[in-house]
Amino acid sequence: MDKSTLLKRLKPLASLQIAIVLIALLMGLVVACTLAQVHLGIFGAVKVYMRSWFVMWGPAEATWKLPVAPGGALVGLLLLLNLTAAMFVRLEFSWRKGGLWLSHSGLILLFIGEFVSGGMQIESHMPIEVGQTMNYGEDLRHVELALIESGATEDTVHTIAQRRLTPGNTIQDPRFPLTVKVLQYYTNSIVQQAPVMAAKGPATAGAGTQVVAMPADNAPSEEQNTASMYAEFSAGGKSLGTWLVSTALEVQHLDVEGKHYDLSLRLKRVYVPYTLTLKEFRHDVYPGTQIPKNFSSLVRLKDTELNEDRDVLIYMNHPLRYRGSTFFQASFGKNDTLSILQVVQNPGWRIPYLACILVAAGLAWHFLARMAPFRRQA
Amino acid sequence: MNFKLSWIPALLALLLAAVLGLKAPSPKGFDLAGAGALPVLQNGRIKPLDTVARASLLVMRGKQSVRDGQRTLEPTEWLLDVLANPEVADKYPVFMINDADVLAMLGKRPDEARFHSFADLTPKLDEIRTQAEQASKIEPQRRDRFQRAVTGLEEKLTTYQRLKNTMQLEDTRDLPMEMAAFAAAIPSGAEAFRLRQAGQTHDQAALDQLGSFLQRYQFLDQAASFRPLLPPKGGTDKDWTTMGAGLLASLRDGQLNPQAAHYAMLLRAWKQGDAGAFATSLASLQGDAQARIPSSASKTRIEVLFNRMEPFYLGIWFYFLAALMIFVSWLAYEKPLQEAAWYLMLATLGIHTFGMFTRMWLEGRPPVTNLYSSAVFIGWIAVLLCIPFERWSRRGFAALGGAIIGAATLIIAQGLTGQGSGDTLEMMQAVLDSNFWLATHVTTITIGYSATFLAGLLAHIWIFRSALSKNFSKEDSTALNKATYGVICFALFFSFVGTVLGGIWADQSWGRFWGWDPKENGALLIVLWNALILHARWAGYARERGLMVMAVFGGIITSLSWFGVNMLGIGLHSYGFMDKTLYALLSFISFEVLVIAFALIWPKISDRPTPKAA
Repeated sequence: MDKSTLLKRLKPLASLQIAIVLIALLMGLVVACTLAQVHLGIFGAVKVYMRSWFVMWGPAEATWKLPVAPGGALVGLLLLLNLTAAMFVRLEFSWRKGGLWLSHSGLILLFIGEFVSGGMQIESHMPIEVGQTMNYGEDLRHVELALIESGATEDTVHTIAQRRLTPGNTIQDPRFPLTVKVLQYYTNSIVQQAPVMAAKGPATAGAGTQVVAMPADNAPSEEQNTASMYAEFSAGGKSLGTWLVSTALEVQHLDVEGKHYDLSLRLKRVYVPYTLTLKEFRHDVYPGTQIPKNFSSLVRLKDTELNEDRDVLIYMNHPLRYRGSTFFQASFGKNDTLSILQVVQNPGWRIPYLACILVAAGLAWHFLARMAPFRRQA
Repeated sequence: MNFKLSWIPALLALLLAAVLGLKAPSPKGFDLAGAGALPVLQNGRIKPLDTVARASLLVMRGKQSVRDGQRTLEPTEWLLDVLANPEVADKYPVFMINDADVLAMLGKRPDEARFHSFADLTPKLDEIRTQAEQASKIEPQRRDRFQRAVTGLEEKLTTYQRLKNTMQLEDTRDLPMEMAAFAAAIPSGAEAFRLRQAGQTHDQAALDQLGSFLQRYQFLDQAASFRPLLPPKGGTDKDWTTMGAGLLASLRDGQLNPQAAHYAMLLRAWKQGDAGAFATSLASLQGDAQARIPSSASKTRIEVLFNRMEPFYLGIWFYFLAALMIFVSWLAYEKPLQEAAWYLMLATLGIHTFGMFTRMWLEGRPPVTNLYSSAVFIGWIAVLLCIPFERWSRRGFAALGGAIIGAATLIIAQGLTGQGSGDTLEMMQAVLDSNFWLATHVTTITIGYSATFLAGLLAHIWIFRSALSKNFSKEDSTALNKATYGVICFALFFSFVGTVLGGIWADQSWGRFWGWDPKENGALLIVLWNALILHARWAGYARERGLMVMAVFGGIITSLSWFGVNMLGIGLHSYGFMDKTLYALLSFISFEVLVIAFALIWPKISDRPTPKAA
């Protein structure tokens, strides 16, 4: 296929008409996503309208859902194709159109950046008390089943990710010392004292014999869910009973063949290969008011691999960027002795910076060139 | 350059602004301007007493002044009465109550006066407190109209009562005498305390007397609305103290705080109507301020001048007048009136600019720091943008657009002044405390808003002039079209850059470039819409009328992004629910929809042969 037929085939894809329809669709999605945030929360609404290929809809009680509109990801992808095709088909390669070339390539980059962060960004929280040393953040939207094996000198941690914890699933993995048969898994639940003995849960061992977990509707935002699971554990073919594990429960102890284990369902941990120690947290207010003036965390960054050992001050608008992770001052608690850092790993964080420069320069170039007739007439 | 008659309105406007700013009121020989400029610390900011007075009045009364029967009080005059002479101040009608249910609860009819005095409300204070307490258990967003009104009233009453108990307890007869008695009670009281600690016999009466003073001043320290006592030389904002704390500090060395003593004399002189003694105490206080915080002291003087001039309030009237002159010019005296309107608009822009830069200098911040200042800035940019277009086309359109948008945005700003603490120069929350991002992201995005509004406004002029005016020429139409197109390009550039800069700020401060937060989405919608207009024009779908209709719709989107998203009450950018604004916004949108409908329907009906009037 020679070049001109390729261009001809691309022509319908590159049409301005499609671009206009797609922009209008995107506007509709943005409006819907904004309004839906009142009920779904930001994260929920973004999932339904923006980070989806189709917007699905079904009656409230039904189990089926139909795609009723293209989702943000699909519209974004189509716009990306349209933009790319338009540049090669419609846009002549000349100085006069240079501004448009520049701004459209910037836009393409911006879309790519959003896809990258949509697919690859990992967010977690690192609550850290004054004096404490941490090397992981907690992903508030995912949990994991953790089993810690106490050893003589160090502990060994075994984990199972949330996606494998589905009811009916039996997990037998050489990397996990126990066999786990998942009986019930609740994304959100209420854990409380069993009101009467008759209402006891299915657990036969551990804390589950005292308390019961009942499924609940999902909280408005995923971070507020309390996950719980009933599972039967066994080792070497011998059942250890049915246990209740939950993010609302403390660590439970389990002894198997002389080995001692700590069992918990906990927020998924995202480890970093270095440590942060909180030396000081400051929360300043304007005199005579409660208006916060500044939050800052003074931390010691220690990295034995790269031989770093230094103080870092993390405060509003001044995050710490280190080895692919960025640490932001997010929140605080416990009478200003606890600082909560948000940890974000996003390999594409630089893309928007570049995209912005390209688009801005391109638009300025194009519009200034177009303003020439105004100047002549003046 | 020779003097032209068309300069007269502009010169008169500037003259009026200067007179208002510089005229120092001094009723019965009291130097109110001087007293109003005394610096105090309130809500974390050093401000003149005059601002304290105006902000409190705005919150309570919705206006910056008080009318008592036939007399209008200066804000500072009112505040001095509140601080020094509460029995008199209690009789001023400063509480605005509009809610019919609250009025009914107070046993008043809605057609009675809207303004009520503290004395009026005193018998019902307990009832108001009880109701407000009930209502405050409900989340602010879920309160009904009555609950919002009654909690609002209770907040106003608290503001007022704290003011009354700032310089002295409200039951004080004579503050200097009370302070002298306190100073006299310190040595014997302290001695009695020492003896009691040592387990020896002590003078219980002396101890009790000192104890009762301490109780009073602890209360005064807690209740104070602001801190009037200056820090020592070289001190920071934290070292300002309340009157109560200043008096309690006397326990350490037995000495009264000299400033507290000056204030006591000043207030007594005010109460007794002794202008001479007032001037003496005022001079001491001014001398102290000048010596200890020279830069803040000069700032407060300028702030008082700014307060009195009310440049943005004046701007409303002058912009409005300029717009009116252009309307009239299309009927008669076209050239001279348009010229005069043009100069008047420029003069008003000068006043507007003076006001905006004074605010920026006082605050030490870029132009936009809150919703109020965004309105001021949107108007300023739009008027500024009109200048090159008017010089290019000289048809009065851009001048008219500038004048209307200037007046409209300043009216919006005026409507926003009574919200929150009433002081529009508030301190910035920690996350916003970044001049770099305020200067870049906030400023550019606001310029984007401004240009989108201006494009919409120019479109209105085109729509109505082309439909209703006989002498709207082809050249007029083209000129307006080019101007609108140019402004949209400008708007796209700034709204895009502003939006992306916002993303970069978000990335810097909480690690997400784009969070789909409502305010971000609003900004994105403006960008998308402006891009859509330009693509539709290039594709040939939108020609003259199409471009104009789309530009009007751009105004709707911008208004929703500016105000509407705040009403959803979610996200990092929401500044609270504003129900009054909701109605204003809905009316604006309905009107704009009608304009769009008119623009689309008009060519269809006007093409029919118009029946001759009988």
